[in-house]
Amino acid sequence: MNERNERIFGVACTFRKPADVFHAAEKVRDAGWTRWDVHTPFPIHGMDQAMGLPRSKVPRLTLLGGVTGFITGCLLTWYMNSYDYPLIVGGKPYWSAIYPFPIMYECTILFAAFGTFFGQFILNRLPHHHHPLFELPNFARVSDDTFMVVLEAHDPKFHVDDSRNFLQSLGGQEITVIRD
Amino acid sequence: MSDSSSKLTSKWTTILGLGVIALVAAWALAFLGLGQHDHRPALSVLLGCLFWTSLLIGMLMLTMITRVFDAGWAPVIRRNWEFMIGALPVVLLLGVVPLAFLPDFRHLLWEWTDVKHILPSGHEVGHDPILQAKEWFLNEKFFLVRISLYVVFFGVLTWAMRTWSFKQDTDRTASHTHTLHAFSAAGIPLGAVVLTMLAFDCLMALSYHWFSTMYGVWFFALSIRLALAATVILTYRLSNGGWLDGILNQAHRHVLGCLMLAFTVFWAYISFSQYFLIYTANIPEETFWYNLREFDPVTGLKSDWWGVSMYLIFGFFLLPFLALLFYRSKIVPGRLLTIAVIIFIGGIVDLLFNAVPRQILDKTAPEGFTVSPFLCGGLATDLLAIAGFGAIVIGLFLRSATKAETIPVHDPRILESINYHE
Repeated sequence: MNERNERIFGVACTFRKPADVFHAAEKVRDAGWTRWDVHTPFPIHGMDQAMGLPRSKVPRLTLLGGVTGFITGCLLTWYMNSYDYPLIVGGKPYWSAIYPFPIMYECTILFAAFGTFFGQFILNRLPHHHHPLFELPNFARVSDDTFMVVLEAHDPKFHVDDSRNFLQSLGGQEITVIRD
Repeated sequence: MSDSSSKLTSKWTTILGLGVIALVAAWALAFLGLGQHDHRPALSVLLGCLFWTSLLIGMLMLTMITRVFDAGWAPVIRRNWEFMIGALPVVLLLGVVPLAFLPDFRHLLWEWTDVKHILPSGHEVGHDPILQAKEWFLNEKFFLVRISLYVVFFGVLTWAMRTWSFKQDTDRTASHTHTLHAFSAAGIPLGAVVLTMLAFDCLMALSYHWFSTMYGVWFFALSIRLALAATVILTYRLSNGGWLDGILNQAHRHVLGCLMLAFTVFWAYISFSQYFLIYTANIPEETFWYNLREFDPVTGLKSDWWGVSMYLIFGFFLLPFLALLFYRSKIVPGRLLTIAVIIFIGGIVDLLFNAVPRQILDKTAPEGFTVSPFLCGGLATDLLAIAGFGAIVIGLFLRSATKAETIPVHDPRILESINYHE
């Protein structure tokens, strides 16, 4: 990465129609880009595949949270009722898999929810108070009538002039270089 | 209709014929059992009937639920449910209705209907104070009225869901969708009440001392699980040389997989809650039902029903639950089919677990009774009856498929359904 690129966030390019941005995304994907994004005013079906995005990794963190929660629930009820302060309640054993099951199950759900919520927070790199794209004067229009492809500078394929020419070849309208 | 599809539907008479033969055999065994005062073969006919009743009620509920929610993915799959549910009143008429209306079978299966029946305590059923307290509901006349009501109710509802939907194929009127929406909105709560009563009368009343307010919900959960498993199996077959070839896509399988996961959890939640409340309260008039399903009253050791209950926990809940957590299990056809088959088999076992164990009078046993075992000749007649009713249902399903479009071509949401996307 050269000196010049360090101050540049990337190159943005606008499109007028969903079909245009869809086909542009497919071409960017096929060119082997990994650090780039598409901004649209509404969800476009099939965009995930067009961008070559893998499935989200959040479900793995949910599962991890769930398993952690279940084990926590088991240990919690065992430690409290059977080890630290053994107590007979309603003639039930100190610890069995049945009477504390609601607690294990609630812990599973709670921790799975934590895994999901904080997992997406971390994977989305949140909190993120500012983004260089917000400096772009026409960025607000991608929530209205404009579609945008942004090639980011930290992609190994990135070079300002080449990227600009590449976006032009895809049929982009306004091409802007975004400073970081 | 393509060649392979018409080849499929032309088999309907053969399949229906095989079903009738199997059912006649099951009924013949039931009559033989009557002579020896053996309730087990008659129970097999009841189980065969209730298994398919449950599955078809599940499909009826799914039909109505997708109507009420205007589910965009549903139309191509719902048409197959509409074909299936036509068999619901037939199944009831060939199973529960004769069993309830023929006094000999009624007295054999539902012991409380026979006032002269001797209990393990040595008393007659007619003098049982627990039955006397429930008599306003559990009396023969009202019982028969209710059984008739189930046939009429499900007959009318399935007829309505089919008729207006099939009409749309020819007259292309969108208003039929609104009519069915209204029918479904009324049908869901009414259906919930009626299926609960049906579960109470046909299953819970087999052991009339016992009561559980969760029973109807359990029956509903089982119904939907069976309906979804059967839908996956059916659509798998129909998308390989049937009318869903090239139409059923990955997103449809994903939806069915997600619903199977949801209702697997729901079934476990309901079944566990029922057990948990009875375990916690520890009242003898409730716990005996689970004791019958855990201990052999003669030896006091765990019986084979305990093994069945462990299978239900680990094989019918945990295995499908863990498998369905993974995205690829829901979209790869072979994997989804395998899970559906596991659920389908588990559903049969769950029904047996709920209906079969009962006290059999035996003066030589220390408690005065033994419990009907799981592994016995009865299991074979259960499977015969389930296969018999199943072949009749599939035969009628294929027959329905010759009477209407196999894809609801004029459903307002048909394009959305065919192009359904995750």
